[in-house]
Amino acid sequence: MIATETQADVAVRLEGVTKSFGGHNAVSDLHLEVPRGSIYGLLGPNGSGKTTTIRMIMGILHPDEGRVSLFGGLPDRERRALVGYLPEERGVYRKMRVLDLLIFLAEIRGVPRGVGRERAGVWLERLELSAWADRRVEDLSKGMQQKVQFIGTVIHEPDLLILDEPFSGLDPINQDVLERIVRELQEGGITILLSTHLMDQAERLCERVCFISKSRKVLDDDLRALKARERRGVVAVDFTGPDAWLDAPEIEVSEWVEGTLHLLLRDPETHQVVLRRAVQAGAEILRFDLVEPRLHEIFVRHVSGDQEAPR
Amino acid sequence: MSIRNVRAVIRREYLQRVRSRWFLISTVGGPLFLFAAFALPALLASSDGEDRLPLAVVDGTGVLYERLADDLDAAGIPTEEVRWTSTVVDTLRRRARQGAIRGFVMLDQLTLESGDAVLFVNLRPNLVERAALQSAVVRAALEVQLELQGVDVEAMLAGGGLDIELLTSGGAQEGEPRFIVAYAGAFMLYMVILLHAVAVMRATLEEKTSRIVEVIISAMEPWHLMLGKVLGVGAVALTQLSVWGLTGGLIVKSGLPEMLLSGGPAALGTAAARPDLMAAMPGPGLLALFMGYFVFGFFMYSGLYAAVGAMCSTDEEAQQAQLPLVFFLIAPIALVLPAIESPSAGLSVASSLFPLFSPILMWARIAGGFVPVWQVVLSFVLMAAAIIAIAWVAGRIYKVGILMTGKRPTVRELWRWVREA
Repeated sequence: MIATETQADVAVRLEGVTKSFGGHNAVSDLHLEVPRGSIYGLLGPNGSGKTTTIRMIMGILHPDEGRVSLFGGLPDRERRALVGYLPEERGVYRKMRVLDLLIFLAEIRGVPRGVGRERAGVWLERLELSAWADRRVEDLSKGMQQKVQFIGTVIHEPDLLILDEPFSGLDPINQDVLERIVRELQEGGITILLSTHLMDQAERLCERVCFISKSRKVLDDDLRALKARERRGVVAVDFTGPDAWLDAPEIEVSEWVEGTLHLLLRDPETHQVVLRRAVQAGAEILRFDLVEPRLHEIFVRHVSGDQEAPR
Repeated sequence: MSIRNVRAVIRREYLQRVRSRWFLISTVGGPLFLFAAFALPALLASSDGEDRLPLAVVDGTGVLYERLADDLDAAGIPTEEVRWTSTVVDTLRRRARQGAIRGFVMLDQLTLESGDAVLFVNLRPNLVERAALQSAVVRAALEVQLELQGVDVEAMLAGGGLDIELLTSGGAQEGEPRFIVAYAGAFMLYMVILLHAVAVMRATLEEKTSRIVEVIISAMEPWHLMLGKVLGVGAVALTQLSVWGLTGGLIVKSGLPEMLLSGGPAALGTAAARPDLMAAMPGPGLLALFMGYFVFGFFMYSGLYAAVGAMCSTDEEAQQAQLPLVFFLIAPIALVLPAIESPSAGLSVASSLFPLFSPILMWARIAGGFVPVWQVVLSFVLMAAAIIAIAWVAGRIYKVGILMTGKRPTVRELWRWVREA
């Protein structure tokens, strides 16, 4: 990766950002850059500091130390108006009619009411909510409310979308719909900063990921490069016979992935040791492949063991 | 951009509230409820036409009946004189039960001396009838007594005229129409200000706890959101008050309450008997002052309540945190009686000039008695200054608090917010 990005190429930049609440460090010395036009995944277990980071980018919290910049400048209100922000906690005006809510959310970001109405119509149609436009938000199911909220996030056609756990609470079908839309928005030139603990989604969507654990950045890299580098750490095996050798100290985790047992190794160089142990234990090995690790596995390896791994 | 944002917030707040069921119920239901409370007893009391039956008068003195019969007739109470016998009470009781008479009054020597009399009826008479009966009896007794003293009552009553010049500005006494206007108005101001200021607090709290405020604040200044909210809720309150004022005015103008009070359509036009409600109603000037005190009071309290809503995270916390504010609204209610009855007393003047008390107490003094113009003007100037101060402090608390999570701040932390925001 060439490290000579001009400021305009970076949508969000954090430099040495630190935030603590009453002695507890929520974010420690965080540096990150979200390249323009990318889908950037901010990944980490619950409580690792993702939301605090996002709240600092949105100017809701102020860092104790360090600097946040948005589109190469201070995150002032003008620049923040170019952001579509979907908070983790779903906030809506429950008593409002769906269409009115969307027009209002557009209006406060400078979209004339007429235009807002039109766009809301298009989006509601697209997310199959047209029939609910005149209903009160509280009459909608949780998932539908979340879709309405997503529309509210994009209705002013922002340059940057910040989505905090956008998929949680959605059924698989709607997760797919949302995923497709996110990808389309990116193709249209919008930068997307996505915080999630769902590794599968992140793996499908993100070009670049940043792992945060216990308030610190653990890893920050291009997803493809990351996978190539981590390649040797995962072994797919098929075997019959005893399985006690799976408890070998070289193996961090073993788990079933689509019908095949994946072994995640503590040290990528130890696969030979593991194979030897298996054979010595009397297992008949049918398959022993070094495979490309899933993001999940990379995550588990890098996010320290005493923390419960996300699903 | 900023003005448009404030406008957007006002529009949202206003439309959502005005379209709500609660608004419809309270706006239409309020006057209906008042009207029902006012009219139903009168309607019920006169429903069977019993009030057109004669009222028997047993005059044990022999001098009172001739003096009060005409008065009562004019008040819509026909009478019939019955001679006193030892069995008269039983006879009249029977006749009343049979529906031949409405009831009967016993007048005796004691009546002549003290004005006391006893009325036996099937149904309780309404207030106006009772007052008419009472005053007729007392007047008759007085006339008799005065004539015994050699006083020419007729001449005195005809010639007597007194121009009243108050040395001190006197207040209204209980029972007077302007006392009722002052007292009811003060109470209404208290209710309406509290109701809508609390609405601002609840709306703020709801925005905060639902976190939608994070999205909104990313697009506008917290101060603009607060302003829009206060103006939006204020507009709702004014809408409601206008509806109430207009319907109330129309009802009074139609003469309906007088008709009901004086007992059915038959009594319409018997001007002597009915209390002149129109005279007791506040005029346009007083109504404008009422609105003025509401608007200024609402701005002061809604600013404070918005800050309370912003600094709390749960309903329970907010309930507690608003207690000091409720005190400032209730305290003037406790001072309202002296303010009406002796509007020029030092305590009344001083307390009504305190901005947070002014909306209720200054109104009470104005409506109940008399207040120099300079004091009225001063109260508005002081309230305006208070609004600016509150907006400054509350705006800062709001700005920090609305995005804050966790437990309620202490007073010291609040002060830090105000200084640093």
